[in-house]
Amino acid sequence: MENELQRIREEAQKKLAAMQEECDLNALQQQLFGKAGELTAILRTMGKLGKEERAQLGANVNKLKQELEAAMEERRAEFKRRAQELRFEKEALDVTEAGVSPVAMGHLHPMTKTYRTIRDALIGMGFQVFDGPEIELDDNNFTLLNLPLDHPARDMQDTFYINDKVLLRTHTSPCEIRALQNFKPPFRFLMPGRVFRVDEVDASHSPVFMQIEGFVVDKNLNLANLKGTLDAFIRAVFGENVKTRLRPSYFPFTEPSAELDMSCTICGGKGCRVCKGTGWIEILGCGMTNPHELENCGLDPKEWSAFAFGVGVDRVTSLKYGISDIRYEYENDARFLTQF
Amino acid sequence: MRLPKSWLQDYVDFNVTDEEFIERMMWRGFELEGVEKELKDVSGVITGKILTMEKHPNADKLTVCQVDLGGKTAQILTNAKNVFVGAIVPVAYAGAKIGNHDFTVANIRGVESQGMFCSGGEFNLSDVEYPGAEVDGILILRADTPLGIPIEKAIDRDDVIFDFSVLPNRPDCNSIIGLVREAAAALGQKMKTPVIPHIEGEGDVNDLVKVTVENGELCPRYTGRAAVDLKIGPSPAWMQRRLKEMGMRPISNIVDITNYVLVEYGHPTHAFDLACIRDGHIIVRNAQEGEKVVTLDKKERIMDKDMLLISDPQGGVGVAGVMGGLNSEITENTKAVFFESAAFKASNIRHTARKLHHVTDAAARFIKGVEPVNAYLALERCIELVSELNAGKIVGGTVDVCAADLTDREIDVDVSHVNRMLNTSLSGEKMAELLSTIEVPATAKGNDLHVVIPHFRTDIESGIEADADIAEEVGRIYGFDNIPAVLMNGDTFQGGMARAFQAEDKVKDVLVACGCLEMYNYNFTGPNALKALAFAAGDVRNDAVKLLNPFGEDQSLMRTTLYMGMLDSAARNIRRKTGYGRFMEVGNVHFDLGGELLPREEKKIGLAFFGEGESFYTLKGVVETLLARFGVKGAKYQRNDVDCFQPGRRADVLVKGEKLGELGQVHPNVLAAWDISVPVYMAELSFEKLVELSVDTPTFQPLPKFPVVSRDLAIVVPEESESAHWIELIETALVDVIVEKGRLFDVYRGPAVGLGKKSLAITFNFRAEDHTLTDEEIKKAFETVIRVLGENGAPLRQ
Repeated sequence: MENELQRIREEAQKKLAAMQEECDLNALQQQLFGKAGELTAILRTMGKLGKEERAQLGANVNKLKQELEAAMEERRAEFKRRAQELRFEKEALDVTEAGVSPVAMGHLHPMTKTYRTIRDALIGMGFQVFDGPEIELDDNNFTLLNLPLDHPARDMQDTFYINDKVLLRTHTSPCEIRALQNFKPPFRFLMPGRVFRVDEVDASHSPVFMQIEGFVVDKNLNLANLKGTLDAFIRAVFGENVKTRLRPSYFPFTEPSAELDMSCTICGGKGCRVCKGTGWIEILGCGMTNPHELENCGLDPKEWSAFAFGVGVDRVTSLKYGISDIRYEYENDARFLTQF
Repeated sequence: MRLPKSWLQDYVDFNVTDEEFIERMMWRGFELEGVEKELKDVSGVITGKILTMEKHPNADKLTVCQVDLGGKTAQILTNAKNVFVGAIVPVAYAGAKIGNHDFTVANIRGVESQGMFCSGGEFNLSDVEYPGAEVDGILILRADTPLGIPIEKAIDRDDVIFDFSVLPNRPDCNSIIGLVREAAAALGQKMKTPVIPHIEGEGDVNDLVKVTVENGELCPRYTGRAAVDLKIGPSPAWMQRRLKEMGMRPISNIVDITNYVLVEYGHPTHAFDLACIRDGHIIVRNAQEGEKVVTLDKKERIMDKDMLLISDPQGGVGVAGVMGGLNSEITENTKAVFFESAAFKASNIRHTARKLHHVTDAAARFIKGVEPVNAYLALERCIELVSELNAGKIVGGTVDVCAADLTDREIDVDVSHVNRMLNTSLSGEKMAELLSTIEVPATAKGNDLHVVIPHFRTDIESGIEADADIAEEVGRIYGFDNIPAVLMNGDTFQGGMARAFQAEDKVKDVLVACGCLEMYNYNFTGPNALKALAFAAGDVRNDAVKLLNPFGEDQSLMRTTLYMGMLDSAARNIRRKTGYGRFMEVGNVHFDLGGELLPREEKKIGLAFFGEGESFYTLKGVVETLLARFGVKGAKYQRNDVDCFQPGRRADVLVKGEKLGELGQVHPNVLAAWDISVPVYMAELSFEKLVELSVDTPTFQPLPKFPVVSRDLAIVVPEESESAHWIELIETALVDVIVEKGRLFDVYRGPAVGLGKKSLAITFNFRAEDHTLTDEEIKKAFETVIRVLGENGAPLRQ
């Protein structure tokens, strides 16, 4: 009987070694363990044996069965592995072929991007967003801002009028009046919006453009605070390496008034065509709010102080992205818009 | 304001480089507009001496000259008659440039010429400035002129002219004297301030001229003096040179004096021919409506009653502040002159100059603002120059009709307030010292700074702005650059933005994610564009706000919808074949509703789709996505009759019965007006309504606990019926079973369903809230749906 078992083992091992296909494994299984299988047959003979012999044979058969089953499993796994390998070979791709684009995303207008950058920088300094109408009262746009009736900036050649009391706002500064009339100081507002000037369209002028007004009212604000705020915000927009300088200027609604220059982002301050060789670029107008404006809106200028600045989003966009002609910003040519 | 360096040097030592000077002026608020060489159009012209002259072998009129250019010899051809051997002349040697002309080596009839000789005219010289400059021919230079030196050195025209922009609050610096005052302070020097002597003269001008000022408000001061026995002739070389440097043209001594004083003191004066003032009586009065005056430029000016006229008893002799009359012009025969130096009200002169479309140099200065003390200084300076130029005999006395207060204003400034504004800690004494450098006298006493505002500083206020005005002056001189940058301190502020601003970001972000490019279009439109959009009578979009002073008809209205601008840009993209056809814009439109002072402003979201792959449904899909992202549920799309869209392909977007917006395929007639020949699909939604309807924070809905069963069916319905109707019917067919997620997935038209019919294939789900549906329930539910559809005229497709 032992010989018989040995024979079965050897024969099965030979078959396994020679086996080519996974289905032959099933046949072998049947041949050994099936109802008419060789090992099954041997087990059937066990009834005729003595107790001890039966136990011995049982153990031997079981051992052989486990041994052969393990060998067959191993073989099966090998077949599977080989089949998978074959499939992988067949499914191999040309990885250098172009990828399939996802659903095409659109693009924000570069001015929207600039606006958000500036806005977020100012929000980080505690500013709240506020706005006012594009068509404004003459009073808010000029008179209450300390632009008396005879001021040359009120000339028809600069301002689009609707009638003698109503106009297209020429700057976002009337939002200051609305802020003063609607909120109790102290406050910090940033006020974005479109503004309008009677400027013929050319490479650097547009009758419609976008400004952001910054306006802070508090006690004890000073020129150093204005400088510090602007310096921080310009660096947030243009990068830490940009330098700023504040130089005297004039606006009717600020006193003292100033203009902020930043070191040229194109040449880094060495002087180039963009900065006209000076190394500096004029970026915004600002100043300590004129006491008349505060008084016009019911605040005591001895008690309250304020500063304001107005930055042209179009201009900052042009500088930031190196756009040479402001007209691109209103033509909406897809080849332009898809660059940002 | 132009500032010739040589003129500046009359008053200060120019002890720094040009660059340093320019930078220092910038720190004081005077930005450089440009720097010019005195002979700005000439470069590379040098002096040369003619060594030999020979006739040109092939040209009778030409002479071949060998010229010593100081070290090298050049051959120059000329046809000038006045040159001679030994003459020193300006040579535009090859490489030189005059105006737009570049000089090169030329071959003239077989003989080479290495340049050309120049005439005095090419350097804008008069005989007075350089003897022989106006001769017909070549400028013969003085015999002692060195050879090979630049012509600008040889004729002493090598000055540099700075041009600084003067801020509107500093009209005093639109003068040499005023600008030099600032320049001297910038250079750290005391200006050698000129003192104008009072020249007594003979007789009394008041015997020759009587002046009546009828409107003292428009003419706060009128001063005048006279000179007789005039010798009209050219002004001297130094004056001609300076006028040219300032961009003016010398005319004659008396006229040049007024122009010289105009730039020197910044105050316009006028010279009348005294003989032409009838009755010797000048009346400053408002013109009569329609009164006519012929001005110096020989143009007839028609005045109105708001304009100020300088007249004599018989009529106008000048338009106040703008231009003198032709009838009293200074001519070569003038024997006696009356100089007028007056202060006119800026706003009135602005009104006049604008109405007459004639903003002269004088008017521009009056508009910027003049002051009465300077008016008198300018007058005295005119008289001094008449005397200096020996142009006539000075008449004694002065006409001075003055309603203005001429005393200097005095203010008391709070030193600590100034320091608070600047974040400085300067003593009152230090402030006084700084102010003294710009000739603003001040004395400190504790916290009080007593300032005497000089007459020329009209910008410094005596009222509530005084502290700020002085702070600006102190800060400017102390140097803004010396003030540190300090972040605000004190209370913490909550930065951020309200819901609407956040929503605008989100609208744009969602639409960008849907593939849209963002447009920025102008707000202007015109009646033609509005008419082309063919909004029905009563549509608020016809009520556009009109501009009083537009660029032109087609930009005379404020847009009432984003459609016009978007169509403009769509047309541009199609014309340029940019290959992109999916755009959005978020912008304001305005409606003139009457009644209110300000028009109504509304923010709109616009969409414009065109080109390959775009359809009504791709547009609608983006609208649906946008609404979904804002949590707006239950939007209905209902056919409308907005005429800018093609009938049958247009719909309102309704939410809770209210119109949120509209969409459609643009009507071919509209497209034709924009010259567009491909289909364009547009939508416009109300931004405000979207924000109002949006749900920022949705409440969690528990997930269904029991499975859904999906069923499809195809029904045959009339062609004109809408799928939403049938889906709604399906979804409401049962009460005990939930029917939901109805969706059309196929439409069939053809013989199988018959003419005028279509077959709709619809899928939907059954489910129950509290149990798994049984087969029996499902079967019954499906049958109910079919029955309801059948009863409503939608049989199952066989």
